[in-house]
Amino acid sequence: MSTVPDPSIGDELPRLVIEAVDAEKMKTMAALLGDSNPIHWDVATVRELGMGDQPVNQGPNNLGYVMNMLGGWAGGAERIQEIRVRFLDNVFAGDCLEAGGTVTAISDDGTVECDVWLARDGTHPVLAGTASLILR
Amino acid sequence: MTSMTLTPTTDELESLVGRQFPGGTYAVEPWRVWLTNDVIGAPQRTDGVAHPMFCYYAAMAGLGISIDEMFTLCYASADDGPMFGECDIQQLRPLEIGATYTVRGEITSAVRKQGTRTGTFDIVAFQLEVIAPDGEVSSIVSNSFIFPRRPQ
Repeated sequence: MSTVPDPSIGDELPRLVIEAVDAEKMKTMAALLGDSNPIHWDVATVRELGMGDQPVNQGPNNLGYVMNMLGGWAGGAERIQEIRVRFLDNVFAGDCLEAGGTVTAISDDGTVECDVWLARDGTHPVLAGTASLILR
Repeated sequence: MTSMTLTPTTDELESLVGRQFPGGTYAVEPWRVWLTNDVIGAPQRTDGVAHPMFCYYAAMAGLGISIDEMFTLCYASADDGPMFGECDIQQLRPLEIGATYTVRGEITSAVRKQGTRTGTFDIVAFQLEVIAPDGEVSSIVSNSFIFPRRPQ
């Protein structure tokens, strides 16, 4: 994998941009998870529920993007020891997302604590939380 | 037209704590890993290490009951508009592609809250362990659901 960073407290993690969330991939994930909720593939249902005109991304996908951002920075997603998040809002097909974070603490044993987030259009938060990684 | 499930008493709610799930097994199939990586935009690795999201997928798939059954257990249904609360994933040891994991877990807390705008709601949290073939816990996944309740 790629090189391991040598961070300082306050460092911004390199941001990961998802240019446009793909509705077709939501269908694949629904099949993989056996997720019967039609909001992930049936636009008619989304409209009936008053949720707009685009399918709703699965929450775990959103968490996956944040893990990708962390793994890309840390030299591999296996370096993520713990991640704790809250889901703040829905993500829809076509949304442009940005995942990022900030280093908040560093321990002598190589553990690094970060605040992490995922935002629509880089500003509207849809997920936020904390993560712990081991970098040694 | 939907209707909310009858609100449980606080005794009924608190009796959920300690309730164990049936549990089960989850195989980290290579084809499933490939497709999942493709969906979430993760690199396709060749070292046998699964994406950490598989800690979550394994836990939820090996729970032994469906999400709808989970809602029923918590005196609710999908029509009540349950929401994800927090999700915490501990990756103690990365999951291995091709391995089959055992899952066990239980409800760890169930509390009633009152919000000024949201009214009454319950937060039910549960914890699941994903256990490797050698018996070691590879991952601990803690989730919570928020259940809006009708006024009593």
